[in-house]
Amino acid sequence: MRNPLIKRIPREYKSELGKQLAVFAFFVLIIGAVSGFIVAADSLIKSYNDSFEKYNIEDGNFELMEKADDELLRSIEDEGKITLYENFYKQEETKSFESKLRIFGERDEIDLVDLLEGDMPSGSSEIAIDRLYAQNHKLEKGSTIKLEEKTLTVSGIVALSDYSALFENPSDMMFDNDMFGVGVMTDEGFEALRDNHIHYSYSWLYDSKPKNDEQAEKMSEELIKVISPKAQLTNFIPEFSNQAIVFTGNDMTGDRTSIIVFLYITVVILAFVFSITIDSSITAEAGVIGTLRASGYTRGELLRHYLIVPTLTLLAGALVGNILAYTVLEKYMAQAYLLSYSLTSYKVLFNADAFIYTTVVPMAIMLVINIITLTAKLRLSPLKFLRRDLSRRKKKKAFRLNTKIPIIIRFRLRIIFQNMPGYITLVIGSFLANAILLFGMIFNPMLLDYQEKVKDNMLAPSICVLKADAETTEKTAEKAKMISLTSHVEGYVKEDIPIYGIKENSRFIRFDHDTDGLIFSSSYRDKYGLSEGDTVELKQQYGSKKFKLKVGGFYEYPAALAIFTDYDSFDELFKGEEALNVIFSNKKPDDIDDMLIASTITEADLTKTSRQLIRSFSSLTSVFLVFGIVMSALVIYLLAKIIIEKNEQSISMTKILGYSDREINGLYIRSTTIVAIGSILLTIPLAYLVLSKAFEVIFRSFAGYFEFTVSPLTLIRAGLLGVAVYVVIALLLIRKVKRIKLAEALKNVE
Amino acid sequence: MFLELNGITKHFGEGESRVEVLKGIDLDIEKGEFTVLLGPSGSGKSTLLNIIGGIDSADTGYIAINGEKTADMNEAKLTRYRRKHLGYIFQQYNLIPNLNIKENVEVGAYLSEAPLDVDDLLKTLGLYEHRHKLPNQLSGGQQQRTAIGRAIVKNPDILLCDEPTGALDYNTSKEILKLIAEVNEKYGSTVIMVTHNDAIKNMADRVVKLRDGVIRKNYMNETKIAAADLDW
Repeated sequence: MRNPLIKRIPREYKSELGKQLAVFAFFVLIIGAVSGFIVAADSLIKSYNDSFEKYNIEDGNFELMEKADDELLRSIEDEGKITLYENFYKQEETKSFESKLRIFGERDEIDLVDLLEGDMPSGSSEIAIDRLYAQNHKLEKGSTIKLEEKTLTVSGIVALSDYSALFENPSDMMFDNDMFGVGVMTDEGFEALRDNHIHYSYSWLYDSKPKNDEQAEKMSEELIKVISPKAQLTNFIPEFSNQAIVFTGNDMTGDRTSIIVFLYITVVILAFVFSITIDSSITAEAGVIGTLRASGYTRGELLRHYLIVPTLTLLAGALVGNILAYTVLEKYMAQAYLLSYSLTSYKVLFNADAFIYTTVVPMAIMLVINIITLTAKLRLSPLKFLRRDLSRRKKKKAFRLNTKIPIIIRFRLRIIFQNMPGYITLVIGSFLANAILLFGMIFNPMLLDYQEKVKDNMLAPSICVLKADAETTEKTAEKAKMISLTSHVEGYVKEDIPIYGIKENSRFIRFDHDTDGLIFSSSYRDKYGLSEGDTVELKQQYGSKKFKLKVGGFYEYPAALAIFTDYDSFDELFKGEEALNVIFSNKKPDDIDDMLIASTITEADLTKTSRQLIRSFSSLTSVFLVFGIVMSALVIYLLAKIIIEKNEQSISMTKILGYSDREINGLYIRSTTIVAIGSILLTIPLAYLVLSKAFEVIFRSFAGYFEFTVSPLTLIRAGLLGVAVYVVIALLLIRKVKRIKLAEALKNVE
Repeated sequence: MFLELNGITKHFGEGESRVEVLKGIDLDIEKGEFTVLLGPSGSGKSTLLNIIGGIDSADTGYIAINGEKTADMNEAKLTRYRRKHLGYIFQQYNLIPNLNIKENVEVGAYLSEAPLDVDDLLKTLGLYEHRHKLPNQLSGGQQQRTAIGRAIVKNPDILLCDEPTGALDYNTSKEILKLIAEVNEKYGSTVIMVTHNDAIKNMADRVVKLRDGVIRKNYMNETKIAAADLDW
């Protein structure tokens, strides 16, 4: 005969329909989202990983000041044990809209192109451009792009396999698929473009591939030693440090890990909520359990019975969540990546991992936590259950509270102490929910604030980096020198740091030129925690010479990591090094030959990180916001509900004694209010601290820096939102208390 | 008349399962009277007590205390009525498990503008040395004494007792009954006690016997027996 207790299950669902539906919906939401994310990410990661072989992605590239002849190339190939491929590009500013377009010729051998839409270019005025760049500028097949001296027609939309993230420079903190794009033309078309901004870039493939990044680093160091004595290198980017290639993979893999960890934390919190629910049901049903145990039901039978509801709810949530993941959510999740990365075409793959991560593991977590709770509780003897004495220790003693404290306050304190496990779970759940909520709230304002700071603190409205010295009649022009060195700090990503030699009485960058040491930008100080008097060691970009630079002071420049010194000290420090000339001015000089300009730095360049982050994450921040609110509401409601249910009889008794609903709410709901509001006040600053620490650590693996700033107003808003969520819950709780019948106290249970 | 019950009817269930629990109860009780409601299970005595206590409502008829009808009261007024006039003692004590003994009594005291001194009351009840203990650390008799303390600390006009000795042994039951009688005498509270223990009728001023929802007997005891002398 089947265990008749099974008949209780539908009734339990019926009696707690609201709660079970809320928990089910939450599981569907989170498991669906996470599973959809993993399915999308894994399908994309697989396609990304396969693309290295499928599209023959380079092992690295370097750029020379001048075109290399065959002899030089052969000697580099022989000594470096590599095969070289010309991969020249011309970078032009577009005239029809503001952006820089990097144009390559045909790619038949290396870094192949995936045609996504339309056709590959066939005429000399046709170009196939990157999907995201096209999307951001509303370009499609047949659209035209005006350059300085030529107008190109878009023949198709493509993904360049070595530009899955549109980084203009490997030292950029973030890619920028709005202001920077890539495209390919026919060789004839490429030749026909002006040569003003041609880059002699050579991609290489090792004869024998490195086995890991460590070996790749060693091999690249050897290669640089081969090339640098033979030619003037202007850029050297091994594949492992080419953000345009590796950023996508690192980001997707990192996101995947974080999101799985996030799912497990959520499941653990919900498992604790369930275990508290089960604990409270067992207490309420002690007499029944005692009778069943006394009648011969085993602990195992009861254990299985009490596990059914949470397990079924999770299983149903996981099944529906997974179905939604494959049918609907995967597309949304993939979209988040496809809005950021120029990925080659991919196929949705059935993913056993997603099922294990989102269904099997959460189920195991839920079962383990609940089995531990239940086993401990059911270990008591049937007699103890019959006597409703469920304390494992000897009779619990009441700790004393000062009797001078009014009885109502003591009453509330006792409720808080009585429900401590529930309240601790509430605080932990609140912390997680508030961290998510806060992240959703602070991200955009923080980036907008950073953008404003960058705009307000630019070194100069126009900065031109020149290939050689040049003169201009621009009245506000001011010459400076610049050299780029590389920072190598353990635990931080390698990054290029520009050092500027600034003239005394500069109208743009003012600092004390008699300072002992160099002046570091404020963002440099904040990222590396520098203080005056510290020494920073930087290395030549393509050589091994090291420079020890003393920190003499700081300059408020949040846009980038940079160092400033006076002209003479610059010459002295970097004697024999190849420095670039820079012109600071209020407006871009229009009389300098374009051929002499290596690059220009504008407001758009400095704000590209924040703009891209806003583009990539703005839709996700609202998801975080909603998820934070839902999670916080669910955890608080479920636990507060348990507290009310656990005290139903006492509440009923206080009603009989003559306590008004208001007074009863003051006892039972205000205790939860104190904890809930207290946890909001506690966990929001805590979440802020954890997020700021997390940002600090995250930025170590990114080039550049921006300050983690949150206005107090945002924190207050987050707090108020938390309070508003709680007010809704409190209203539900008030309704619940009001519905407790006076007759509840007459039930024959203690 | 202090407490007036007029034409009280009450049913539970509908259709075939409809049961008429009270079929028109008329009863007058004087202030300070000790009334015992006797009857077998299902006679309607607990339902009647709950209606007097404002925990349940009558289908028809009314209850008036000092001329004020409870049927005319909204929920807030009913709460004030219980707060001001009533003390309740149950068979299962219904103490608040996470409050200690003194705090349980203080919960009652809080409701009164002129409560009895809690410590004095605890001493009277023999609970003073247990005041810091939780209810589950005490015996059934001690818990019931705490419940009595909670009920009488606010010096209620009416003390409603629903089988107060139902869960207690013989000696403890007599102790509790003695205590209730003392409260009745000392504080002048009107006591209405539901019991199915026939012997208890002997300590009451008034005995009301119910069967099948109607009063079968309603009489005043000419002589009362002290609780200590009761035997069953």
